[in-house]
Amino acid sequence: MIRLHNVTKVYDNSVVAVREVGLEVAKGEFVFLVGPSGSGKSTLLRLMMREEKPDTGEVWVAGKHASALPSWKVPHLRRSIGTVFQDFKLLPNKTVYENVSFALEVTGRSRHVVRTQVPQVLKLVGLSNKADRQPRQLSGGEQQRVSIARAFVNRPLILLADEPTGNLDPATSVGIMRILDRINRTGTTVVMATHDHAIVDAMRRRVVQLDDGQVIRDQRSGAYEIRVQSNVARAEAEPEDTELDTTEADAPDEADAPDEAGDLEDTAPTEAATDGDGDGDDATPEEHPGGDV
Amino acid sequence: MRIAYVLNEAFNNIRRNGLVVLGAVLAVFVSLFLTFGTLIFGEIARVNTERWQEDVRVIGFIRTDFRDVEGLRVEIESWEEVEAVIYYSPAEALEEARVLFKDDPRQLQIIEDDPSIIPASLRVRPVDLNDYDTIKQRLTNSPGVSDVISADEAVQQIAAIRDGLRVFFWVLAIALGVAAVALIANTIHMAIYARREELEIMHLVGASNWFVRTPFLIEGVVEGVLGSGIAVATGIGLYNLARDRLADLPEFINLTIDNAFLLRWGLLMIGFGAIVGIIGSGISLAVHKYVRT
Repeated sequence: MIRLHNVTKVYDNSVVAVREVGLEVAKGEFVFLVGPSGSGKSTLLRLMMREEKPDTGEVWVAGKHASALPSWKVPHLRRSIGTVFQDFKLLPNKTVYENVSFALEVTGRSRHVVRTQVPQVLKLVGLSNKADRQPRQLSGGEQQRVSIARAFVNRPLILLADEPTGNLDPATSVGIMRILDRINRTGTTVVMATHDHAIVDAMRRRVVQLDDGQVIRDQRSGAYEIRVQSNVARAEAEPEDTELDTTEADAPDEADAPDEAGDLEDTAPTEAATDGDGDGDDATPEEHPGGDV
Repeated sequence: MRIAYVLNEAFNNIRRNGLVVLGAVLAVFVSLFLTFGTLIFGEIARVNTERWQEDVRVIGFIRTDFRDVEGLRVEIESWEEVEAVIYYSPAEALEEARVLFKDDPRQLQIIEDDPSIIPASLRVRPVDLNDYDTIKQRLTNSPGVSDVISADEAVQQIAAIRDGLRVFFWVLAIALGVAAVALIANTIHMAIYARREELEIMHLVGASNWFVRTPFLIEGVVEGVLGSGIAVATGIGLYNLARDRLADLPEFINLTIDNAFLLRWGLLMIGFGAIVGIIGSGISLAVHKYVRT
């Protein structure tokens, strides 16, 4: 669905935002991009939505060579990508309904499509009863739900979210993540840049960690940081994170945890997972804190 | 739906920026009103100096029984104060008279009843345009010449004004046209700036370039056409008023011009206004980053 090959992006002030990044995201995946500010998360998202062009390397998105796409073809690429931002980017003088229908209208959808799709997607984000409100009459969480509805109303193949919970309190963030998870379950690929430890740790999805424009970790169902990871260190993890740190263990379970695949190796307290060596000796968290595979 | 949407956007822009739009429309109005007025005045001057064109200042009418017109013409042309002599046959003179008296049915009738009263003539262009008294004198004494008329001062002045107007017209048209383009560009600039959030979202959700830009082009054209339309209406209105009020001008000044002339140039002015609008908004669209992907 998304493929970055050896991508480097240098900004005008010769700041290297992204350095020789290779990344592949399959259809239907949910990927967290984590890393400190300035590590290149947002640039990576901007490259995927063709807001930026790489200086070297190739970016493929939804089967299109995004980095080589002529600018007049960019709108078509964008229709297969939904985008959500920290600052919501809602139009203040339009209602919730109009903000969402705007995305359909300006891409030339018929009135019929607008009339059927908008209520559906408002229902999905739980704002059916607030369709006539204006953004300033909504809480931050509700505003973000409107922006997710707008991003999803076109039924994009990919949803790119740049710090969608950055302005929200933890409880509200969980609600937003539920919606993103639900969207992901419809088969939409989700890539989300975030600083939110709790969310990443709770969701247990693929984590791509960036530092100084480079990918330093790519883990299938990871945590925000290696050291707060629970009992089992990942095969991809760096050696020093095997230190005992079970106390911080798993994040709260508010965000529904039904992670599908990948969890076999993830020894959650309740289910005993097999070791990677396949000899059947089960590891329990308590007695196998740093158990490498 | 698309067309309706684009038109709706264009008119919303105009409404939202009322004052600035008014400024641009006024600029187009003033520039094209002056241009149109100059054209009308030029046409009046042309009509009134028709027979004094090509710098003819003295006309000698030939007696109908005089045979050696060509001999006379060659002789006059040999005078040192004469630049050229043009022969007008009775047929050509009749054509001219029909034009000259087209708004004077009574005169016209007399001519049509007896075309033979229109004599052939020799039209003399002096070397020095202001020094034609000698020519007039010598022509009066020439054989075969029945009557001599010369351009009087009024006609001289009209001709001079007409020649000056030609230059004035072009300078005015270009200078004011540039000002109008700049003012329209400015209104479109402000419209784009006012809607930058909306435009950003349009790009994010994949609105095509023409969808983003066309409303601004239409806005420019509407402003141009509005300004030029008012200019043409005012020009024609004032011309009609002047013609009625100045009915008792001296005989030799004829304020009547062709309706076809007004129609042709009125439409051209409106077309010119539309072009001014397209250029103005085109400039704004070309320099603005909000309307580019």
